[in-house]
Amino acid sequence: MTTIVGIRTKEGVVLGSDRRASKGFFIGSKITQKITKIDDTLAVAIAGQLSDADYMVKLVKAERNLIELRRGFPVTVKESARLIANQAYTGLKNYQPYFVELLVGGVDQEGGQIFVADMSGAITSEEFASSGSGSPIAYGVLESIYHKDMTNEQAKEIATKAVAAAMERDPGSGNGIDVLTIPNLSLVVKERRR
Amino acid sequence: MADIGGSGIGNTRYPYYYGPEGRLLLVDSALEAVGRGSTTIGIKTSTFALISSHIKPTKPLVEASEKIFAIDGHVGATGSGYIGDILQLIDEMRIAAQKYRFTYDSPIDIKSLARQLSSYLHDFTIYAVRPQAASIIIAGRDPAGVQLYQVDPSGTYFSGSGFAIGQYSDTAIDIVQKEYTEDITIAQAVQLSDRAIEKALGEKPLVERGLVTAKDATFEKMVNS
Repeated sequence: MTTIVGIRTKEGVVLGSDRRASKGFFIGSKITQKITKIDDTLAVAIAGQLSDADYMVKLVKAERNLIELRRGFPVTVKESARLIANQAYTGLKNYQPYFVELLVGGVDQEGGQIFVADMSGAITSEEFASSGSGSPIAYGVLESIYHKDMTNEQAKEIATKAVAAAMERDPGSGNGIDVLTIPNLSLVVKERRR
Repeated sequence: MADIGGSGIGNTRYPYYYGPEGRLLLVDSALEAVGRGSTTIGIKTSTFALISSHIKPTKPLVEASEKIFAIDGHVGATGSGYIGDILQLIDEMRIAAQKYRFTYDSPIDIKSLARQLSSYLHDFTIYAVRPQAASIIIAGRDPAGVQLYQVDPSGTYFSGSGFAIGQYSDTAIDIVQKEYTEDITIAQAVQLSDRAIEKALGEKPLVERGLVTAKDATFEKMVNS
């Protein structure tokens, strides 16, 4: 269930999601937050088991803080995606998989980046991506109107459109749209502090 | 076995047992090592906590090791003793801080942090291993206010407004005690700690400092002035 989308732009990244949490054929919640900010430069959009995803997000948060304190400079988006993937892979190989597919979106020195991390431990870098039961519909929208060198404002509109289309036809998605924009580092505060 | 201090059964003696006076030789030795470390000071009022540590001069091409460490956004620490041991303890605290966030979804309070470190250090005093030769001063801010703690190799920890550890710490703490007032400003505290270290060493020393204030609740290393 769920529809989440992530778009990389020249200005950063945009994540979008619906707000429905399903319990079988029942709508468990109409106000679920599926986009979790890890800090000012990184966020994760969640599809799948919320508890598993929450656990992974907490783990990455702790690891990122620790690594940054130890080495003195921030953890990149790619490194963060790798931390999540390693956890997913360990889970899979121990027959206790994390039932998640996450979109990891963030900005670092390289600019905005979107990674898809699934329960197998695979990560792929994407220009735009979608996940969840509504993703085939969302992809239809994204494929037809996505183009490179978009602004965050344009990507926000496209993300909203993609999730809205999925909500129209996918019974697992609905109840409103959340969008999060992360601007590139030069546009964000110079020094990051918790 | 030869007589190597401490008491054991019959003639055999082990250094990690209590001595005849009821002292732990290894812990005493660790404290002795701390007493030879660089002079390190902590000063706290209700509005801020300052930690400063003397940096021993190194060879011209060698960078001196860092002495003030951020443990988490709201807490920092410094230490005196073997630098390798200090670094190990700093890392223990960083992990403890992140574990606390993981479990409770909130920043660790300074007393819990001091207690965890104390417990870690205490483990080394009950087995036949070498206790960590480092005393740590922790400065942080939590819902209970600004906090300053000292933790010793024995596992003992104190909360207080002024601490000095390392070389000539007796001289240094004398000066801090004499001139400390609850309404001391940050600039005055910086000066006071500098003076205490300077007096103890009898020279103009290189000092590294860290500060946490009640107002913004973030620990920052201070830029050398």
